[in-house]
Amino acid sequence: MKAASVLAPPVISDADFQKFAEFFHRKTGIHFEPAKRYFVDKRLVERIQASGAENFRAWFVALRFETDGAEMQRLVNLMTVNETYFFREAYQFDCLVNNMLDEIAARKRPGSRIRIWSIPSSTGEEPYSIAIYLLERWAKIEQYDVEILSSDIDTAVLQAAQRGVYSARSVGQLPKPYLKKYFTPHGNDEWRISRDLVDAVEFSRVNMSDAADTRRFRDIDVIFCRNLLIYFDDLSRRVAAEAMFDALAPGGFMCLGHSESMSRMSSLYTMRRFPDALVYQRPL
Amino acid sequence: MKPPSSLRSLPPKGVPGGSGMNRILVVDDAATVRMYHRKLLGDAGWHVDEASNGVEALELVHAQGDANAFDLYVVDVNMPRMDGYSFVRELRKLDARHQAPVVMVSTEAASHDASAAFDAGANGYLIKPARPPDLVLTAALLLGDRTAALKSAEGAKS
Amino acid sequence: MALKKSTDTTTLRPVEAREYPRDTDGLIAQLADADATVRRWAARDLAAHPRAAAVLCARLTDETDASVRSVIFSSAARLGGSVVVTSLLPLLRSEDPALRNGAIEVLAGQPDAVAPYIEKLLGDADGDVRIFTVNLLGDLKHPNVPQWLAQVLVNDVNVNVVGAALEVLAEVGTPASLPALRAAAKRFADDAYIGFAVDLAIGRIGVS
Repeated sequence: MKAASVLAPPVISDADFQKFAEFFHRKTGIHFEPAKRYFVDKRLVERIQASGAENFRAWFVALRFETDGAEMQRLVNLMTVNETYFFREAYQFDCLVNNMLDEIAARKRPGSRIRIWSIPSSTGEEPYSIAIYLLERWAKIEQYDVEILSSDIDTAVLQAAQRGVYSARSVGQLPKPYLKKYFTPHGNDEWRISRDLVDAVEFSRVNMSDAADTRRFRDIDVIFCRNLLIYFDDLSRRVAAEAMFDALAPGGFMCLGHSESMSRMSSLYTMRRFPDALVYQRPL
Repeated sequence: MKPPSSLRSLPPKGVPGGSGMNRILVVDDAATVRMYHRKLLGDAGWHVDEASNGVEALELVHAQGDANAFDLYVVDVNMPRMDGYSFVRELRKLDARHQAPVVMVSTEAASHDASAAFDAGANGYLIKPARPPDLVLTAALLLGDRTAALKSAEGAKS
Repeated sequence: MALKKSTDTTTLRPVEAREYPRDTDGLIAQLADADATVRRWAARDLAAHPRAAAVLCARLTDETDASVRSVIFSSAARLGGSVVVTSLLPLLRSEDPALRNGAIEVLAGQPDAVAPYIEKLLGDADGDVRIFTVNLLGDLKHPNVPQWLAQVLVNDVNVNVVGAALEVLAEVGTPASLPALRAAAKRFADDAYIGFAVDLAIGRIGVS
């Protein structure tokens, strides 16, 4: 009789799922409801097998006690959706033009400068989305000089951002009039963004953990830092949150990704609830 | 029946008319404690939400619309990131719709802690680990839930 | 007006007249500056100056600004090591929860440097100190954590210390923890919470 030579894939018991969900929630603030069981179990099995662990218990002990944070990083990547596209989480851009900018403008003389910092720039969808929103949906855009700064640690994506070519999927959420106005068709079902918008954004390479990089940014009025800090370890997250606090002007606003929370990073920011979004603020 | 420790009298918040059951926010960094309080308070017939520190609690409070603002807060004193007293002080700065009674839960038996709780804006104070009848009775009294209060008092006698 | 690219590079790289040089002693002096921003930047830059570890941590007891404290803790965490650990351990006794929890967070990131102190702390006369030590174990990446917790379950007289230990064991408990778990349930048989927490921790150990 031939012996079984293939191990059955690990099974995630209810107790295992709860243990994992609590640990993950404690570390990241992300909740996995029972409804997400299939989603989570599938990825746990993937990580257990990829890491060569014998079972869930062995894998979890390694995760809990690892000192370099590598498995946690892989896990977070797997458990979160990393896609970027134009007008992603647009409710925050609504909040920008409906509330945040008006409050900021009220504290400044007309004609003065307003600075918005978008991190990470990734391939540019976020800073360009902000630019389009400002031009199309902020009533006071002609009364202030608005600077859009955008940074990323990865020079390859910065180059792509400045090249400004996007897939149909990436521009899929844009209202058709905006697509027509700010993009030209390019190659095979792609779109190239107008040079005016590329030129309007100041791109830079920045490591958020490096004070030498972040100290250059001052008097920022709004920071968008969405779906970046979730991938950082605890200390780097704190350091970045503190760096952004210093970059902000007093009263400046900061937006995290919709599933992210300051509760795992810092208590320095106050919270402001606007009709469109909950945002964080450096106290005045 | 021994009354729970330190309960400042307050006109009880009425049971919300028509909009459903009372909503309680349990704030504690220990998941096991949150689960335990959820079990006790849920069994008494109330809806329970959880937060693991003061910052997360404030985020959750802000996320509630008018229809589902919390009716009671059960708040651990010692939590990382933002402790219980800081949370209550921040809570008391918010709109009227978020204001509701607060019960602090603490390991310290020293009387100074109770007065610190009231100074911060709390309405009640329990010493950890809270005995089930004390927690439920305190919550029922502050919620103005007469049925639950009587039921809990009965339970405490046995 | 409208979208304006910043062509003025000095706004991105402000050149400031520096009152103090950014060497160790200059930065230490700035830790006591009247301006919180100056203090915060000094605390941030001192993360690269191991010689200043003790002075940096000592500043915590005098520092009233939360944003400066936060950066001091972060820099202490980046520096790490035994000087940081010995400087922060006394804060476990602080009346200020922000100082206590800030210290715990840094100490939890120093498993090898903190390990020699754990047993003594778990035997401290002050129950609160023992609770905070258990909280520290909750994030400490040291292989002895389950054994230290088991000791608490078997020996500690304070129900809240045992409760705190059960919380951590729900996550890190092993089959070897079972005797200690049963011992705790027995010692605190009258406490509903302890019974609940023991059952939970036992359930989490499972058989995977």
